[in-house]
Amino acid sequence: MRDPGLTASPSVDHATVRVTFEYLSWGTVWLLVGTTIGLVASIKLHWPEFLPFAQLSFGRIRPAHTSLVLLGWSSLVLVGLSLYVVSRTSRVTLWSPRLARVALWLWNFALLAGLVTLLAGANRGPQEYREWLWPLAVILAAAVLIDGYVAYRTVAARTLPEVYVSNWYILGGFCYLPILYVTSYLPFYQAGLGNTVVQGYYMHNAMGMWFTQLALGVSYYAIPRLLGRPIYSYALGVLGFWTNLLFYPLIGAHHFIFSPVPWWLQSTAILFSVGMMVPVWAGTGNLLLTFKGASGALQRSYALPFFVTGLIGYGLSSTQGTIEAFRTANIYLHFTNFTVGHSHFAMYGFITFIAWGAVYGLVPRLTGREPSPLAVGVHFWLALVGVLTYVIAISTAGILQGLAWVAGQSFIVSVIEAEPMWLWRTIGGLLMVGSHIVFAANVWAMRPLPAAVPSPSPEPVRMPA
Amino acid sequence: MSFGGLHTDHRAIVAVAVIVFFVLTLVMAILPALREQAFSGPPIATPRDEVAARGRQVYMREGCGFCHTQFVRDLPMDRPYGRPSRPRDYVLEDPPMLGTQRTGPDLADVGTRQPSEAWHLIHLYDPRAVVPQSVMPAYRWYFIEKNQAGPDDVVAPVPANSAPPGKVIVAGPEASALVRYLLSLKQAKVSP
Repeated sequence: MRDPGLTASPSVDHATVRVTFEYLSWGTVWLLVGTTIGLVASIKLHWPEFLPFAQLSFGRIRPAHTSLVLLGWSSLVLVGLSLYVVSRTSRVTLWSPRLARVALWLWNFALLAGLVTLLAGANRGPQEYREWLWPLAVILAAAVLIDGYVAYRTVAARTLPEVYVSNWYILGGFCYLPILYVTSYLPFYQAGLGNTVVQGYYMHNAMGMWFTQLALGVSYYAIPRLLGRPIYSYALGVLGFWTNLLFYPLIGAHHFIFSPVPWWLQSTAILFSVGMMVPVWAGTGNLLLTFKGASGALQRSYALPFFVTGLIGYGLSSTQGTIEAFRTANIYLHFTNFTVGHSHFAMYGFITFIAWGAVYGLVPRLTGREPSPLAVGVHFWLALVGVLTYVIAISTAGILQGLAWVAGQSFIVSVIEAEPMWLWRTIGGLLMVGSHIVFAANVWAMRPLPAAVPSPSPEPVRMPA
Repeated sequence: MSFGGLHTDHRAIVAVAVIVFFVLTLVMAILPALREQAFSGPPIATPRDEVAARGRQVYMREGCGFCHTQFVRDLPMDRPYGRPSRPRDYVLEDPPMLGTQRTGPDLADVGTRQPSEAWHLIHLYDPRAVVPQSVMPAYRWYFIEKNQAGPDDVVAPVPANSAPPGKVIVAGPEASALVRYLLSLKQAKVSP
């Protein structure tokens, strides 16, 4: 199959470029805010009297951190890149940049209101990643639906017969997230343990059916584009799409192993956690094999190292997740900080590195402006050393906690043993936040030149229905 | 390899993706959740009084559930926290707070394990006054510093070096409610 990215016309449509850049910029703002809050939360675990204010207490900033980095940074940067990718691979201008901008402001409003309400203590209890009060969830869902509609109409107007594999993943993500999000908020089946069943389904699928979808969709466009060669196997990309859809939604309950939720649900979840290895290694292998024989391009590019890191992060963090689902491993690792290490490995080592690779790989082609390669290198190494320090420290903390519990020690022993690792986690987090400041400066360096932006964009090309 | 014509039909891709994901959502989330809601059986926990219910709101507001589970597994390491949790334990809980992290200990049965109101008040005002190595936040904003306690005041008997000199620490309404809630966390007796 032909890779449309390789033959795309070099002409750039400025309305699409600008709205893409706005998404990336706001994503970067939320990255800075969200990870600074995360750093404060990390410091509090080894210095509990640090910033002793109600609005900044650990239990309030923890959901603020997760909601900003998930729904703010990761979602906005990937939506912005996805809107660009659907437009390029369909070889038409974005269907309605104006509507996409409306959606962006709905996202931003929900994120700001979510931050303020969570810090004020207004939440729905410790229901991970759905702590926001429902009116904010309605606004967010509307934003996702609008973005999805813009992407759909753009693909519908394509000038090629095929729907390129990137768009399978991207349109898929835009279909799944609204179903997932609405299901997690509707109350009709959530009394008692019903709520817990939905919690497992929701928090797990948010990863595989949203972030993974968009990150792979963007990768299937950007990696061949940067390497100047087609993907290793188009069919493997499509196989990954379907197996992900069939296996991933079945494994949410592995967050509640040994819980009173039905045993069959837990066992199904463990079984398909193994099945998930099919789409994971199909995707990782396929995209990594695309690099085969292109080591020269890898050395010349400052964007590709982010992709390689992100793809390795995808394979390894997913395999780690499968192992954690086994009952034997779960005994030692569940409830410990190992889970926190796993989620950062996945959301940062996979999703965030892919997003950075795509930003550095694509944005200079849109705006004609490049960051200094040295600054990109500083960003890369700060982020990589930071996240490795973070993940190794917090995973070690988790293992120490698990061993202390299994040994039947008094609970406080697990706190004492984890505490030095929490300090190392803060050091890793400091490097990560530092890398984000460099990244923000690089985004600024890539901003579109106002002079280069022509006035009103041409009417989008539409195919007859 | 053929993909059944799907690769040229965006409508079909979207339709199949939506239908398959919705069906899997029904099978793996909505229907099992409905079943849990409908067939868990009658509640075994005693309903909470109004003060303890307000205390539960404070517990939620402060995100206590991000570090404390309320869910005992049938594993030897969980024995200190009580008997294994059952579906009927959660029938009245909205939302139930089983949790995914134990930065602090499980609280499913903390009212039995630690029944002292004074201990909980001190612990909430200054956790390190009772557990020196604790990393729990201090919830001082739910307490009032007074020169002298009034007749109806609930005094938190904190050690002298925890409170400002010459001050008495009095529990605010939220602190009292939160302690009432913590003391209400007692697993109901069940036949095995």
